[in-house]
Amino acid sequence: MSDAKKTPVETDVLIVGAGPAGMAAAIALRRSAPEGAKPRVVVLDKGRSPGSHVLSGAIIDPSGFEGLLSPEEIGKLPVEAHVCKESFRMLFGPRKSLKVPWVPPLMHSRGFPVGSLTKIAAYLCSIAEKEGAEIYTGYAVTELIEENGRIVGARTGEKGVGKDGKPKSNHLPQEEIRAAVTVLAEGGCGILTGKLAEAKGLGGVRRQTYALAIKELIEVPAGTQTAGEVMHTFGYPSADGTYGGGFVYHVSETQVMAGYVYSLDYRRPETDPHLLFRRFKASAAVQKHIAGGKTAAYGAKVIPEGGYYSALKPYFPGCVIVGDAAGLLDSLRIKGVHIALQSGRAAARAILAELKDGRGLETYPELLERTRGWKEIKRVRNVRASFRHGTIPGIIGAGMAWATCGAFPFWRLRGFEKPDSAEMEPLKPGAIEKEAAGAPPASPLSPDRLTDVFMSGTIHDEDQPCHLKILDPAKCAECRGRYGAPCTRFCPAEVYRLEEGRLQIDFSNCLHCKTCKIKCPLENIDWTFPQGGDGPRYTRM
Amino acid sequence: MHVIVCIKQVPDSTNVRINPETNTLMREGVESILNPFDEYALEEGLRLRDAGARLSVVSMGPPQAAAILREALARGADAAYLLSDRAFAGADTLATGYAISCAIRKIDPSPDLVLFGKQAIDGDTAQVGPGVAEMLGIPLLAYIRELSAGEDGSFTATVSTDDGEETVEGKFPAVMTVLKEAHAPRFAPLAGAMAARRAKVTVWSAADVGADPARCGLNGSPTKVVRIFPPPSKGGALRVDAREDADAAAAEILRLVKEKGILPQ
Ligand SMILES: Cc1cc2nc3c(=O)[nH]c(=O)nc-3n(C[C@H](O)[C@H](O)[C@H](O)COP(=O)(O)OP(=O)(O)OC[C@H]3O[C@@H](n4cnc5c(N)ncnc54)[C@H](O)[C@@H]3O)c2cc1C
Repeated sequence: MSDAKKTPVETDVLIVGAGPAGMAAAIALRRSAPEGAKPRVVVLDKGRSPGSHVLSGAIIDPSGFEGLLSPEEIGKLPVEAHVCKESFRMLFGPRKSLKVPWVPPLMHSRGFPVGSLTKIAAYLCSIAEKEGAEIYTGYAVTELIEENGRIVGARTGEKGVGKDGKPKSNHLPQEEIRAAVTVLAEGGCGILTGKLAEAKGLGGVRRQTYALAIKELIEVPAGTQTAGEVMHTFGYPSADGTYGGGFVYHVSETQVMAGYVYSLDYRRPETDPHLLFRRFKASAAVQKHIAGGKTAAYGAKVIPEGGYYSALKPYFPGCVIVGDAAGLLDSLRIKGVHIALQSGRAAARAILAELKDGRGLETYPELLERTRGWKEIKRVRNVRASFRHGTIPGIIGAGMAWATCGAFPFWRLRGFEKPDSAEMEPLKPGAIEKEAAGAPPASPLSPDRLTDVFMSGTIHDEDQPCHLKILDPAKCAECRGRYGAPCTRFCPAEVYRLEEGRLQIDFSNCLHCKTCKIKCPLENIDWTFPQGGDGPRYTRM
Repeated sequence: MHVIVCIKQVPDSTNVRINPETNTLMREGVESILNPFDEYALEEGLRLRDAGARLSVVSMGPPQAAAILREALARGADAAYLLSDRAFAGADTLATGYAISCAIRKIDPSPDLVLFGKQAIDGDTAQVGPGVAEMLGIPLLAYIRELSAGEDGSFTATVSTDDGEETVEGKFPAVMTVLKEAHAPRFAPLAGAMAARRAKVTVWSAADVGADPARCGLNGSPTKVVRIFPPPSKGGALRVDAREDADAAAAEILRLVKEKGILPQ
């Protein structure tokens, strides 16, 4: 096997990322190809096991599974509940809140399955494996290979490199995979996707804008809650009009998913999203759902929120981009799973044509536009930008967009000319202390950041080079003066700490959410891949 | 030279929690992994294979345990065997050792070296390796941290003992259990993982290895588990907060250590 290392692996299709988008492509590729002409499909994921790096809400629009899975397989999805009661609440403060009396039917998800996407991704992996796709976890894909204007495959990351950068006794060199088609299914803020889009001008009309989502699984006493009940909130604790909201999903009688989503175009450097999450949980409206409970798991991830105008051109010769990686998410409902699944299927059709005739991959953008998911994204194309003008215009904008099936506003709203990183204002004196004042005391239901990080199961081999690279240390000093080192607050894993005025990076805590890459005001942090298999170990997020 | 490494699939204890009401393991969300100590036994086996030995791996467990055997194949093992049979269920260390020794005899009546991890993290008994040595009638060297094999069937091993280290020279055959201080386990190359996916894992029942049913599983296990419980936490831990002033905290720790008589005054 040691000689095999040198000859590159060859496959028809290489899929980078085993989330819903990648798995839908894998399943559809193997299922729709005629017997005898099934393509070889290799899927690589950097998580230790299937689903380890997949985190979501999640209420799933089941339309994504139609045509991909059999009714019997849909029946066996690892979910314990379907949405039976849904409410939307505007929070005015820690105590006061108001139930929104009427919401557009578009927003409703009654009857939809609600559960852990980690488990669903693992389930999709098992189906894909049965169909003959090959899934290998613990391998980060760190580089695309381009030849003559075409992507022809990729390379995996090295393993066994010491913190001094020198190979250790168990060093494993990079390996090369040659593929007729490479599918980028990296999820939000994908590193390879970002580099390709930048180099080849695949960006949308607007820049992508992200939200950081922080989430816990809370175990509550039996008999106190109803499986399938869900609540969405907006308003408090976001005080300054930044787009943000919370969710509480009862995925079983004893398990609650509680999460807080906060847009990364926020302006105040003192912002601490984890603290906002704790305030959200401490509010009366949320306490009703989680009181007496105990946090059992934790995680964080970014959501590409820009929608229609920020979506990438998802095709380059030899390569297609699917799911969150391409920015395919309904930013009104914060639902992306069904669109990820539909984009994976659309990609599979284009890929099969390409494999047969040597062309057809370029039809993917068109096939994508015909999916239901894409039409949804288009309908709500102005919603996210409406919220840039505050919550109330946002709600009005969203309502009008719904009522006119997306026709209103008729023009393209402004916004997102700048990247999220550039949306930071200088720190005002005393702002950090003010922000932190009155923080909820730590408890089993309101763990501090580090206790939460422990519950994510994240771990990195500490004898490896730090994967979070500070590009110019001098800029960190500048940032401290101007913004007060916001990385020490926005990182949901407490990776960044100030130690005697110096920035200390505890990369082993990293949850791979990429917030630092997105929000560092001086764009001074480069997120590179740690050793494959390292990172969070989600099992039920 | 033929090396046989025995490995076990265990629940990942970093995630295991105990239900306080029933005192049973909460398995929800707990993954199965290759026993961390066995990683090191496998690595020693692979190193001997790098030098020309043949390497077989054996496990006993449910059909899912084939996953760890495939991992071993992906890293370079030549052949993999899984003992999987309801008859083996409920085995204690004696019955497990018996079943594995039957399998080893079937794989090779005279192996040169049989390797085990020091212990499995789910039971922590460290008894199966020594038990197999006894049943096979092969000398045992427990807790090795270093091993090198000579050309002529001789070996030199470093063994950790309670009060130091011993360097042992000897001749194969031997059974050894390996500590985590040995060489860092290697990673499976992708090409290896691909080959392992297609490789065969031989599955054997009790009858296949000629095991006496009376000595297998629950029937062959004199040990009975009466009760499982988490050790009560002792409490009374003292915390010194070093976040504000590390020097003061260090001085406080020193004072406490002296006060409790842990250090001579
Ligand atoms: C808190 C939260 C709540 C949400 N709620 C909902 C909801 O209720 N309903 C809904 O429909 N959607 C929801 N979403 C959105 C939904 O989770 C995403 O749209 C969906 O997960 C996208 O799937 P994907 O396959 O594109 O990417 P992902 O699920 O992100 O999967 C990407 C995979 O690729 C791997 N990967 C990335 N780069 C590499 C690389 N270079 N090499 C190897 N592997 C790599 C990652 O490890 C990961 O496993 C929510 C998201 C969040 C964060």
